[in-house]
Amino acid sequence: MTLNRSILLSTVLYVIAISAVIAVLGHGKPAKVISLFAVSGLATGALYALGGIGLVVLYRATGVLNIAYGAMGAAAAMFAWQLGQWGIIPPLTWVCGIALALVLSLTYGRGIAPRLAFQPPVVKAVATLGAALIILGGVNFFWVDDVRKFSLPTDTIGIQILGLRVTATRLIVLLTAIAVVIVIQSYLKHSIRGLQMRSIANDRALSALLGIPILRVETLAWGISGLLAGFTGLLFGDLIRLEPTVITFMVIPAIAAAICGRLENLWLVLIGGLSIGLIESLMTLSPLFKSIRPVTPFAIAVLAMLWMQRGTRLIFDEEK
Amino acid sequence: MRRLILPLTLVSAFGATGALADESAPHCGANTGEAATGEPIKIGGIHGNAAPGDFSSSTDAAAAYFSCVNANGGIHGRPIEYLVENDQWNPELAGQAASKLLVDEAVVAMVGNGSFLEMAVNAGTYKDADMMVMASACAVSECFESSNIVSTNQGPLGSNVGVIQYMQEELGVQSVACISLAIPNVGTWSCDAVTGYMEENGGTAQSVFLNPAAPDVNSAMLEAIATGADTMLVNLPAGLATAVLKAAEEQDLRDAYKWAAPTTLYDLSVPAALGEYWDGHIYVNAELAPFTDGGDDNQNWIKVMDGFANADDPRDTFSQSGYLSAKFFVETLLKMDAGDVGDREKVNAAITGISGYASDLMCGPYYVGEADFHYPNHAGHVVLIKDGSFEVVRDCFEYNSAYFDPHIAIETTLGLR
Repeated sequence: MTLNRSILLSTVLYVIAISAVIAVLGHGKPAKVISLFAVSGLATGALYALGGIGLVVLYRATGVLNIAYGAMGAAAAMFAWQLGQWGIIPPLTWVCGIALALVLSLTYGRGIAPRLAFQPPVVKAVATLGAALIILGGVNFFWVDDVRKFSLPTDTIGIQILGLRVTATRLIVLLTAIAVVIVIQSYLKHSIRGLQMRSIANDRALSALLGIPILRVETLAWGISGLLAGFTGLLFGDLIRLEPTVITFMVIPAIAAAICGRLENLWLVLIGGLSIGLIESLMTLSPLFKSIRPVTPFAIAVLAMLWMQRGTRLIFDEEK
Repeated sequence: MRRLILPLTLVSAFGATGALADESAPHCGANTGEAATGEPIKIGGIHGNAAPGDFSSSTDAAAAYFSCVNANGGIHGRPIEYLVENDQWNPELAGQAASKLLVDEAVVAMVGNGSFLEMAVNAGTYKDADMMVMASACAVSECFESSNIVSTNQGPLGSNVGVIQYMQEELGVQSVACISLAIPNVGTWSCDAVTGYMEENGGTAQSVFLNPAAPDVNSAMLEAIATGADTMLVNLPAGLATAVLKAAEEQDLRDAYKWAAPTTLYDLSVPAALGEYWDGHIYVNAELAPFTDGGDDNQNWIKVMDGFANADDPRDTFSQSGYLSAKFFVETLLKMDAGDVGDREKVNAAITGISGYASDLMCGPYYVGEADFHYPNHAGHVVLIKDGSFEVVRDCFEYNSAYFDPHIAIETTLGLR
């Protein structure tokens, strides 16, 4: 009963807060213009959410916040683009790009992550930052600054929503994010492997004593995360920018979205990502706030943490 | 992978138009055909090369020309030792690079500089050191509005005004949305000049600033649409401009507006990257001669790059301007007494005295002179992205903006008009 009341209160406050933000940022602007920016922002936010979901899936299974997630996505996008330049048929380039992210993720997950298994979560996260910089360095070495464009066939198909043409690619991002949330939630909740993942995340040592195949389960989680990183990287390269640095640092709003879900609730991650994209886009309408758009993910993550941590446990302190 | 692709693209582009010159060697400096063997003359150069942009093509081309000069008698028999530093888009490193070259290495001149920030950081240093920098790839206002820097390129101000002037005169443009980075000495500076030009000619312009740290460009595109302008001026680096144009393509906005860009899009890899959708729809300013131009200097630039640069060095506008700065510098030194070419003070006095140099790469004369501003290159070309390449739609023309009135007054004083 108390839980339901808390959820209701949070929902009401969220709706009020978002409405207030839209009213303030869109003040004096025609509704059609506000709608255009809102739809555009939601489309970008879906990408942030997809990134956040990939992070949370891994975190829930291994306790690792993978800051290299964006870099793996960047490598996937650049590799797919390169294969396309060499005349490989597009579907194969996409598969190869995602496969590269999968390989990078599994390499780290099997080669390095187990050696840091008993380190605090912050140490594990910082180690992935090192991996991110190494991958980014490699990507920048192979693909120097140049003009590039990565497109998917779904870019040419679109529908009008509130005056804005929304391509099928953007709809795929949103629908994929929702589908992934449903599938992963169900998998973690109802499958043996999902139960094992949750068990390892809670107490790795105890899980090992219980006979849970730690490496196998963690490898599965790194694999799922790698696939999502590759997929997100391709879509980010298509919809935002095909620049390794930009794609690498999409992990920042993705982490903010993940934090909105307290690194465990995938539905809240989805809402967090969409909210970040929405508010970031609407801030363009305000001469006062448009220059601080990049602050949006952090501001929303901080507010979400402040709200959700009232009277509850700390996010990064689980192993103490 | 541009390292492999660009030169091939360039060669095929020139080959297709028959513009590749004969197999003869490039003409450099004294052109003696004998290697210089005397005491090296130290020359410095600074470029910015790190994510998100590579401005090294100017120093690459200058280095190639100096190598060619060294293989052809050098400067009165002395070779040029060209020392290049990378500021990595870091103000601290930019300051250190200038200090290293000016103080530690005691270079006699600075040639071919290309950066987004080096000039803003070091303009005061160069003035204090009485060093007249012959830059090549300038983007910031300090590069054009300071006493000790002169560039062969135009930067975003001239380049934007040039293309908008063409569109206003030929296509009847009435209102412009200038989409630019929210960097005061680049975006604001150049878009303000466009606004000034449009207002002088009965039109309007509004600036739409894109936060460099914000990944999403769709909002900037929507904001530009909201201005109600009839023309979109994409005043951004090529990678970012491509992203904005892709966002516009997603909304199928091509035919709803006229599209323009400064010389950042005058790159042989751009038409293919943008795709067929934009074919015949984007007008681009070319600050120097079109790549396919048959002029002596343009052809010599190609030969120098083919003979003395790395195969993967870009052949772009900044490469042309780097070559040109190096060529003008060498011409200046060759006119000096042999005993003076290692003397920084005399070399910089000679650079300051440059007046009336000509090249088919530039539409007007190149000069330096003593002033608090230098903008010798304020005339250019306009090209249209067409058939996977560029089609020249207007040859050399001077930009009619009040901004250039002081420069024209100086040119009149120097007898260049």
